[in-house]
Amino acid sequence: MSMNILIVDDSPVMRTFVRRVMQLTGLDVAQYLEANHGAEALAVAAAQPVIDAVFTDINMPVMDGEEFVRQFRQIPERSHPPVIVISTDATAHRIENMIALGASGYIQKPFGPEQLRNEVERVLALVPEVIEEGDHA
Amino acid sequence: MPETNDGDALVGALLSSCCEQVLETMFFSPVLGNVEPEETFGQARIHAELLFHGRPSGSFEVDVTPEACQSLAAGFLGVEEAEVSPKQLDQVLAEFANMACGSALSSLARVEYFHLDPSRVEPVENFAPAVEGVRRAFQLDGGTLGVCLRVDFDSEN
Repeated sequence: MSMNILIVDDSPVMRTFVRRVMQLTGLDVAQYLEANHGAEALAVAAAQPVIDAVFTDINMPVMDGEEFVRQFRQIPERSHPPVIVISTDATAHRIENMIALGASGYIQKPFGPEQLRNEVERVLALVPEVIEEGDHA
Repeated sequence: MPETNDGDALVGALLSSCCEQVLETMFFSPVLGNVEPEETFGQARIHAELLFHGRPSGSFEVDVTPEACQSLAAGFLGVEEAEVSPKQLDQVLAEFANMACGSALSSLARVEYFHLDPSRVEPVENFAPAVEGVRRAFQLDGGTLGVCLRVDFDSEN
């Protein structure tokens, strides 16, 4: 399966780091889509027929990760793709809130290829029908 | 600055551990040893500072030699040091401040929730601490890196 990955983060260097670590995982990625904040990510998602997984930061200008996940999950065809939060904040309060809003997984910074691969595989395994649907390569 | 109680020592230990983990995992830069934090005072450094709010609130700062900052940025981005732009240098140091501070706060048992403000990054000719708190400094390949964390458990904003 070759995936379309959407990376949502207001830091360009963090988006570069996620792409770099994804390459180190060996997971097959067809296309990286990027957005500076939640509102831009919703616009990117609206223009892209297939998104297989999303990585999102929480603290972002314009629209933060909480509001992005909430609105993303309200779009019927976006109710299943895994959304993985990447954040330094690993307090129980924050994790529970993001999961309640519809996030599928949570990775605390710092992280390396192994943690990223494990979390991507874990959340993809939870939605097998979506993997099949999104297997467009 | 002398540490006055066991709480400061605990915060210092967590701060060291979190910084080492961030540096090794995301910047591919091992800590080669500890240095006295005061050794970095008065030097030309690149400095980043951020405030955080919640329970608790406080502030965090990092200071690093320009050479070590270049090396860290190259490691983070996976490029040669000469390819790192000044803008990327600032962005990478801001990311380090965000990650080191957030990681340390998430490790403290008494922390309930927090929000990190964006880091303010600037070069300084004669570094003087802007944050009064628990301070640690590390020897890296290319220079030294200092950090300081102030946690105000009694306030909420």
